[in-house]
Amino acid sequence: MPTEPRLGPRAEVVRGTLEMLALRLLNEEPMHGWGLSLRLREISRDVFDVNQGSLYPALQAMLRRGWIRAEWRASENNRRARYYRVTVEGQKQLDVQIAEWQRTSAAVNRVLRYAFSGA
Amino acid sequence: MAWYHEIASSLAALVRRPRQDAELSEEMRFHLEMETKRNIEMGMSEADARRRAQREFGRVELHKDDTRDERGASALFDAWSDLRFAIRSLRHRPGLTAAATLTLALGIGATSTVFGVVEHVLLRPLPYAQPEHVVAVWSAWKGFERTWLSYDEWEGWKARVPAFADIALYSDGAATIDGDSPERVRSTSIQASVFPILGVRLARGRGFTADEDRPGGPSVAVVSNELWERRFGGDPSIVGKHVQISGSDRVIVGVTPAGFQLPQDYAGGERTDIYFPLATDANSQGAVPGPAFPKGGASHGYYAVARLAPGATAAMANAQLRTLVAELEQFGYMANVNFRAFVVPIEEQITGRVRPVLLVVLGAVVLVLLIACANVAGLLLVRGEARRRELAVRVALGAGTRRLARLLITESALLATIGGVMGVTLAWVTVRLLRTNAPAGLPRLGETSIDWAVLLVAFIVSIVTALLTGVLPLAHATGMALSGELREGGRGATTGRARLRWRQALVAVEIALAVVLVAGAGLMIRTVRNLLTIDPGFRADGVLTMRVSTPTVFYPDSTRVISYWDDVERRVAAVPGVKHVAAVRLLPLASEMGDWGMVIQGYTPPPNQGAPGDWQIVTPGYFETMGLTLRAGRTFTASDNDFKSPLALIVNRAFEQRYFAGRRALGGRVRIGSADTTKWYTIVGVVDDVHHNTLIGIVKPQFYATLAQFALAPGSTRRTMSLVAKTDGDPKALVSAVRAAVRAADPRLPVSEVRTMREIVDAAIGGQRFAMATLGVFGLVALVLSAIGIFGIVSQVVASRLHEFGIRAALGATPRDLMVMALGSGLRQAMTGLAIGTAAALVLTRVLHTLLHGVTPTDPLTFGAVVVVTGLVTVIASVAPARRAARVDPNAVLRVD
Repeated sequence: MPTEPRLGPRAEVVRGTLEMLALRLLNEEPMHGWGLSLRLREISRDVFDVNQGSLYPALQAMLRRGWIRAEWRASENNRRARYYRVTVEGQKQLDVQIAEWQRTSAAVNRVLRYAFSGA
Repeated sequence: MAWYHEIASSLAALVRRPRQDAELSEEMRFHLEMETKRNIEMGMSEADARRRAQREFGRVELHKDDTRDERGASALFDAWSDLRFAIRSLRHRPGLTAAATLTLALGIGATSTVFGVVEHVLLRPLPYAQPEHVVAVWSAWKGFERTWLSYDEWEGWKARVPAFADIALYSDGAATIDGDSPERVRSTSIQASVFPILGVRLARGRGFTADEDRPGGPSVAVVSNELWERRFGGDPSIVGKHVQISGSDRVIVGVTPAGFQLPQDYAGGERTDIYFPLATDANSQGAVPGPAFPKGGASHGYYAVARLAPGATAAMANAQLRTLVAELEQFGYMANVNFRAFVVPIEEQITGRVRPVLLVVLGAVVLVLLIACANVAGLLLVRGEARRRELAVRVALGAGTRRLARLLITESALLATIGGVMGVTLAWVTVRLLRTNAPAGLPRLGETSIDWAVLLVAFIVSIVTALLTGVLPLAHATGMALSGELREGGRGATTGRARLRWRQALVAVEIALAVVLVAGAGLMIRTVRNLLTIDPGFRADGVLTMRVSTPTVFYPDSTRVISYWDDVERRVAAVPGVKHVAAVRLLPLASEMGDWGMVIQGYTPPPNQGAPGDWQIVTPGYFETMGLTLRAGRTFTASDNDFKSPLALIVNRAFEQRYFAGRRALGGRVRIGSADTTKWYTIVGVVDDVHHNTLIGIVKPQFYATLAQFALAPGSTRRTMSLVAKTDGDPKALVSAVRAAVRAADPRLPVSEVRTMREIVDAAIGGQRFAMATLGVFGLVALVLSAIGIFGIVSQVVASRLHEFGIRAALGATPRDLMVMALGSGLRQAMTGLAIGTAAALVLTRVLHTLLHGVTPTDPLTFGAVVVVTGLVTVIASVAPARRAARVDPNAVLRVD
């Protein structure tokens, strides 16, 4: 039996990018895992196919590195849910990653622009 | 990176794992419920909503695993849970587990033992400084492939071979430590420079000085560390003490370091316990002083050891010796006997003989290990077959291939660990057996022990076996993960095909390896048989031997020595069971014998050549005791062992053929020694040749004289003799009675080297016997393992085709037809294995070349027998499972559907 399709028509978010996006969203407000996955889908207008399950290993990795913290709280519909919040270290990390991303994407954009204008 | 977060997380993972797991499950459950709810709100039915949510989330267990992996310390947890699982699954199948661990234990144990031996014998450095610069120096000429040096040669090589930094002589013997309990030990007289050349630093005291190493020098001795501990209780003030040795007072000046042995000690397997200064010079040797050479050569009686000059090699030393010898030959030194002088690197000298044997055994044990691995891999494949569904369920539940791989590797590793522990235990027992029963003639074998290096190798071998045995079942399991076993339905008769093919290949390989081992064993068995059928010229059975010396302090003259031996022989002859008794200078095959120059009436030697004869001194009764065959004349009688009787000599056939060509030896006259003053002996008997130095090779002219008459002419009293006693029964049973009789004659004289002649003969072919025994055992193990493999294959084929056999039976196939069909399934592998194995063995047995005697490495008879034996074993192993096919009940089989 083939496993579930991992690469669909939508781009799969690579792990590093997923961490950056999650940090960015959690930096606005603490959220639980499902809430975070929903926001990712909404904001990216479903372009990013965040394989929902793979969000949890990423969150655990960030917990381990001390970028985020987790606590159990009552959710909006009064159920127990695990909320994640960015730590000071996580904010620093976010700044670093955003800077890095902007540098990379600017460079890629330059290359693309040159390629098209040169055609 | 904040390392303290990592550590805190890992610690939490270790301590709070159950809670974290519960939270993780809750979190994911929450996610799925929220997603389902959202899907329902978007207008899906509840069932669709749930399915969609699950699909979007992916495999829950996989994500849980991945999340756990991110906690830190997860490797530890997984290993632990895998281990617990492995233990459980191995306990479920005790039969298979026992078979697999025992097989591995056998493989690992054998490999560790052999490695231990190889490490101690070949790899461990000799107890000399920079042993690669130490060489043994030898002379050789017609009939002597490797013999001693003369004093003149030592002087000459020392002065004129630039490749030698220094060269020194030594000579072995025996000494008695006197006292209340006299003890006979091996002693060696060495020149003062022997210790510096070997680069040994004495543990206590010092070596000999030049002043001590001259004729008439101070009476001193050095003792071995082992003797110092055993005899002197490790006395810290031993240096400077006076000890009575062989009747003279000696001052102990030094103690050698533990484990030190002279190069020649390794050859006899006996350590020198007392060192004396050689204390000789050209004058006392009758040699030409200074680096000069007498034309006829002189007495050759010294071992020599040299240290190479910086930058010099053994090859350079040999080239320089060749040039020098060519020059000497021009001048007439030892002319026409093809005189040579050469060096042998000390390592080659000591372990050269045993090296080929050990390398063969090492190769063989690797084959055994491979067979063991193939067998265990086969067993695990069978189990994989039985576990197909279990593994498939795991895959369906989301276990990734990596996880599955870890699980299976853990199982193999667990098996290999248990096998490894059992194997090391086995090796420990084997090494202990080996130490006590070390075959004589294989130097350093008795030193073997299980040390860290051996344990490390056992560990590495275990890991390798874990990988080798795990990889095949693993490949199948992962293949399974991708192919979705669940959909396949229950029977799986066809899916087993691939696995079966692998097992068939494994079994074919096993049989091929077994053929190689059995062929090797067969060739060695034939070699040993050939060696044993060589007529040594004497009858070894029922002969007990022991060595006794009559030192000058107690027995100042030859008359007393002779009456002592008369007394001993009378007492020993009175021991019930003893048929014959005698004394002899050197036991055949126990030590090498040199020659003595003679003058033979009616024989003129070629120019510059003498008439040498190996000299054997005996008491009357020796020929009867040792069962020598008399060809002409008579053997010695009691009256021959008397100064007053006419001098009587007995010679061997080689003597007669060489010196009495075309004449009758009987009645011929011979003078021993070249001096004109010595008396003439008359030949009274001719006996068959005795193989004295080695079992194979030519026998040189040899003569026998009695103890008394040899003391008269040429005037040499033999003080160390071996007693030989012949019985019809087991000579071992006589040991204590004969010892008591010898002791009764003179309790002051120690008895040493109590052995049977059979033991001496066996030791003479120790290398071949050792190779035969190990290859034999390995071959047997290989056959048993292959039989198990074939048995497994045929069982599996029969089990998977039982349905088909049932149908065939229902359609009228006889049990005989079915049995033939089932047998055929195993025999194809057997044939392939036999063919490949025979081809491989034809090439590989060449490595045995140096060990074989009287049989070629591709001996057709041996190979034919090997093919028949291995083929028979596979047929026998196939019969039991094939019977099951024959007995199939069509009703029972068909009703299952």
